[in-house]
Amino acid sequence: MIEILLSFSQATGIYSFMNSPWGWPVAESIHFFGLCLLVGTVGLFDLRMMGFAKEISLAELHRLVPAGVAGYSLNVVTGIMFLSTAPDQYIYNPAVQSKFFFMLIAGINMMFFYATTAKQVKSGTAIVGVVFRAKAIAAISLACWCGVIICGRLITYYRPPYHWCLWC
Amino acid sequence: MRESGFAFFSALTVHSLAMAFVVGINFAIALRLIGFAPRIEIAALSRFYSLHWYAAAFIFISGMALLLAYPAKALTNPVFYLKVAALTLGLLISRHFQATFFDKPKVTNDRQTINLAYVSVLLWVVTLTAGRFLAYTHNTLLASRYF
Repeated sequence: MIEILLSFSQATGIYSFMNSPWGWPVAESIHFFGLCLLVGTVGLFDLRMMGFAKEISLAELHRLVPAGVAGYSLNVVTGIMFLSTAPDQYIYNPAVQSKFFFMLIAGINMMFFYATTAKQVKSGTAIVGVVFRAKAIAAISLACWCGVIICGRLITYYRPPYHWCLWC
Repeated sequence: MRESGFAFFSALTVHSLAMAFVVGINFAIALRLIGFAPRIEIAALSRFYSLHWYAAAFIFISGMALLLAYPAKALTNPVFYLKVAALTLGLLISRHFQATFFDKPKVTNDRQTINLAYVSVLLWVVTLTAGRFLAYTHNTLLASRYF
């Protein structure tokens, strides 16, 4: 796995860029920019579903979500750059594992939202049960993205081989 | 702060979380002013400024804690002053937008407001970038180096 990721990084020029004097901080800046876009769009949508700023139509606020998806795409690209350049520092890092776990929960939560709740919420016809479910989904989403940020900060404190990982 | 790994990490985490909310809310409002989702009432969207100022207070408190932990590291680095300047100007623009739009429906955004929204986005990008580069550009970690 580590060899495959490193080969990919070296073959695509990512490794050279990331090991240039400003490669790593530039990628980190873009990564955090993407995260802020996500918090500013998906996070605000979650807060609105939880009952904040009720004057705003959820359907209208949802129009900002594509900007959050763009931010998430930036995170995926820069995340792959980090992971493939120093795979041993990420794969065995418990903070990264926890971050991926929160991302997985956020993804499942999002799919559940679009499959069961989004239509009623956006049309403004949600009944009490649906409203409660929407609030729970929003709270889980917001908690997961906060967890992603916290684990992202923790990565540097749990570098292997000094710390445990979930399966080694 | 310096000797407790938990305290330093906590300040760093709170700083990142608060920064994500402040910058995120400013991005959302700037996107709306630039022309995205034009049917959202700017006055209603600016209700998020109340949350924004709480997050800004956390940026200040955690930022002061981080500065007190390694004052020489930050104060000898020009990038730190760039971050503080961009952050202050960004917050001043937020204050201006809040005063202009909060609880004032039917306010339309003119060319000057749109330009200011672009400046706001630029300032927040500078703040984020300078913040990240702080870890890579310092020459001095501790003041004891000079004694």
